[in-house]
Amino acid sequence: MRWLSEREFVRVKLLYNTDLDALKRVLAQKGVAFDPEALMDHVVYMFEIEDCSRVTTHQLVRHRAVSYDQESQRFSAATREGVVTPASIQTNEAAYKAYDEALKTVYSAYEKMVAAGVPKEDARYILPSAIKTKLVMTLNARNLMHLVWQRTALQAQWEIRELASTLHSLAREATPELWAKIIER
Amino acid sequence: MKVSLIWTSPRPEKTIAVAMRRCYSTKPIEEIESELEQKGAEYWKYLLGKAMQDKSLDVLEHFTMTLLVEGAGETEVGNLVRGFPYLRATQLKDSDWLLSLNSRTLVELWRDPRGKGFAQLVVSELDGANVCPIFNEMAFGERIRAS
Repeated sequence: MRWLSEREFVRVKLLYNTDLDALKRVLAQKGVAFDPEALMDHVVYMFEIEDCSRVTTHQLVRHRAVSYDQESQRFSAATREGVVTPASIQTNEAAYKAYDEALKTVYSAYEKMVAAGVPKEDARYILPSAIKTKLVMTLNARNLMHLVWQRTALQAQWEIRELASTLHSLAREATPELWAKIIER
Repeated sequence: MKVSLIWTSPRPEKTIAVAMRRCYSTKPIEEIESELEQKGAEYWKYLLGKAMQDKSLDVLEHFTMTLLVEGAGETEVGNLVRGFPYLRATQLKDSDWLLSLNSRTLVELWRDPRGKGFAQLVVSELDGANVCPIFNEMAFGERIRAS
């Protein structure tokens, strides 16, 4: 499987999806017409999401009836290069300077605390929400469609919009018949 | 009630191991996957055993399956779905149903008197298809010892 969205932030990979043809064969055997709506609960996708900020994963995990396993900061050391910088900060010299200085201070404090013997799970209290994270997520088409509807909306934030539209593209590519009816925003 | 396996997610034990390693590793998925391939099934078994022991059953949610259930009444299926909300059921016609669940729900069904009978049918199907021998041994070992 290939990566979609090779950018500075948010990389998504489809790890597996339910074989729609296997379900369609059962429907045919039972003489039941194919209905995407009826199969939404039975087609499941597992994704790997990387280089996404914790700001965005806080928004993501508000979608329930979805299974998540996320990189823990309790045991893994945080690294300074792994942060997402919003364009509004990147393109504003004064803002970027303040952002960069704050990050340097935060990471220096984190490293000092860990070196002084503070457990990573406690030192992490100081880490920024901009930090990049990785997680696996498994959900069915009904929940994915709800997520796509809500998080590609114009009022959603840029990073989760990017994530939701990438999830949408991968799911649509893997199971086009199921997604034919969704209206593009 | 007759239960037949339509589809299960590929390489269930490795998928569960991937989910476990994801929580404790900073590495990209490709590296986690190749590390798990190298270490092999004994290591996946070790990780699965640890998850079961720690009661960290969330990692089991990534092993998913879809079943055809024949000869089941609405009340029977309704009772299962009400008790186990992550079990999804769609009536195809009359007493024929599509049911989807993950392996955490299967373990919970197995441990609950309301679900045990149904879980036994599913586990027997998984046994027959030899989909996840390590998982079945770890999660439903009492069945193997009893027989």
